[in-house]
Amino acid sequence: MDIRSTVVSLSEISGTSGSESKAAQLALGMLREYCPDAEIINGNVTGKFGTHREGLPSLLLDAHIDQIGFAVTYITDDGFIKVGNIGGIDRRLLPAQPVVVHGSRDIKGVICSVPPHLTSGSSEVLEMDDVAIDTGLTKEELEKLVSLGDSVTFDVTCRDLIGSRITGGALDDRCGVASILYALELLKGSDLAYNVTVLFSTQEEVGERGAKIGAFEIDPDIALAVDVSFAYAIGEEESKCGYLGKGPMIGISPSLSREISDELINTAKSADIPYQIEVMSGLTGTNADRFSVNRCGAKACTVSIPLRNMHTPVEVIDITDAEQTAKLLAAYIRGDK
Amino acid sequence: MKELLKELCLTDSVSGDENAVRELIISRIKNVCEYRVDNLGSIICFKKGRKAPEKKLMICAHMDEVGFMVTYIRSDGTLSFGNVGGIDPSVVIGRQVRVGKSRISGVVGATAVHNLSKEQREKAPKTDSLYIDIGAADKAEAEKYVSLGDCAYFDSEFTELGERRIKAKAIDDRAGCAMMIELLHEELEYDTYFVFNVQEEIGLRGSTASAFAVAPDYAIVLESTTAADIDGASGAKRVCALGGGPVVSFMDRHTIYDKELYSLAFEIAKEQGFPCQTKTMIAGGNDAGAIHISGKGVRTIAVSLPCRYLHSPSSVIEYADMENSYKLVKALIGRIHEI
Repeated sequence: MDIRSTVVSLSEISGTSGSESKAAQLALGMLREYCPDAEIINGNVTGKFGTHREGLPSLLLDAHIDQIGFAVTYITDDGFIKVGNIGGIDRRLLPAQPVVVHGSRDIKGVICSVPPHLTSGSSEVLEMDDVAIDTGLTKEELEKLVSLGDSVTFDVTCRDLIGSRITGGALDDRCGVASILYALELLKGSDLAYNVTVLFSTQEEVGERGAKIGAFEIDPDIALAVDVSFAYAIGEEESKCGYLGKGPMIGISPSLSREISDELINTAKSADIPYQIEVMSGLTGTNADRFSVNRCGAKACTVSIPLRNMHTPVEVIDITDAEQTAKLLAAYIRGDK
Repeated sequence: MKELLKELCLTDSVSGDENAVRELIISRIKNVCEYRVDNLGSIICFKKGRKAPEKKLMICAHMDEVGFMVTYIRSDGTLSFGNVGGIDPSVVIGRQVRVGKSRISGVVGATAVHNLSKEQREKAPKTDSLYIDIGAADKAEAEKYVSLGDCAYFDSEFTELGERRIKAKAIDDRAGCAMMIELLHEELEYDTYFVFNVQEEIGLRGSTASAFAVAPDYAIVLESTTAADIDGASGAKRVCALGGGPVVSFMDRHTIYDKELYSLAFEIAKEQGFPCQTKTMIAGGNDAGAIHISGKGVRTIAVSLPCRYLHSPSSVIEYADMENSYKLVKALIGRIHEI
């Protein structure tokens, strides 16, 4: 498999929290290459990898399949679509942003930008209540195509940047999904140290809800949340960031299992995989927070792909980081530590 | 005309850097008129009509678009830039752009919303704090792809919104250019000058020189103007509306328009049965500002396309307004000479 093209196809399909089915179906098709019995259970994509052998610890490999976006809340008499946010949205960059309304068919639109004469010159940040989408359709036309609750995403096409970097939308966390798939590719035919189950979970962006029910079903001993984390860029606090192109970020936190963190670090060292340490002093804000307290508890850790401009239509990653993440996961699952 | 508009909008040409769009326009008009390119880069065309009129008429539109210029390459490989023309930083942050002669992709980055304080989230961005990320690891790598003074352009799809509207960058004023190219392919009643101006967006500079060169008696300026008929705006604040037909203003910040031409436009619209509107605020300005006081004075009218989200990568127009503007301009060519 080509990891770049996998990231791009996953990035360009829609799936806001609670409306993941298109993205989930695509990911399911990809996962079945490696886990033929994979299925969708309560929205989550899940599948057992390889033959599970008695006596081996069980390991959950997770990435979330949902993305941030909006939900349609109202259609005005003038045909503007009003929306509420799904997940954390940066309202500073909404004016004139192209979007797709996922009605009974996809409808392209633009978020209204208020010209300076209406703001008396001062440029204020739009309140969520004032966000309106212009689709070029009338209320009557829209009512045939759009229902309240339908999802809306930024309209983004991935682009190659210099070298191995790419930009696109929803790379959080579709690049994590792609990394897991690539890890499975690398593991084909290998002896595994764990009974591996894959989970592409829903509703992470609204509070790790898919992970909670997915992990309950799987009941793992060890759970790895493969997500994205902050890559350093202008405006970011360097001490809170990793760097693009320097490999996966291995989490250390009181809520994570230090044993697993150390094993991942040792694996990276012995397999000569570049890595970065991401220290968090409390919860991680990822699915790992749910995994560690699942059922009787699990040893959880985060493996994160550094990403710039998180939750914007211009997220940036370095494809080599997604590759190295896959290599680290594969080496760990083989038991190289 | 829609296909032509698409091709024009997707061509990147910021003020002072109009080469690409100039070449495209010349390729479309070289067989249907006499033309020359002046010292600033504007294209001055002369189209023979059936009659040689007593008075000289000039129709013009500007071919430049708003965009950016790279002013500095930082040690981390990101690019500082300045705006070319008036652009609200809120429509720049979080966008894809194309940079430099090879049009490499870049993005205007934004600090992750998770890491912004409550105050920062409510504070509109400033151009000074924005930067373009082309994926370069450092300055040396960036320098292989970008030079100081290179332009950057919005990377924005040309899309139809529903069946009536179009979303694109640079509609201001490629729509005017598209109409002029179409007119140049028609049989005209009178000899007419057509000028594709440079550098409108940085202060009506191309038109200052070209109007002096042509020295017309009458001028029709084809433009796009802010329509604010958006959610939450009412009354006069809407300025003008999509679907309301061509916009003919009596006054803006640079020009008080010729009263007789103003009335003539509405008369024509009424006779031909298409809508026509004026602006309900005195705001903005266009090449008319330079043209009407050129030489001994030029009787000037501006015919503008109502356009939402002007100067953003996602400007929106209603195609019928463009067709009606075209009808109006065509009729004006004949009727102006009867005044």
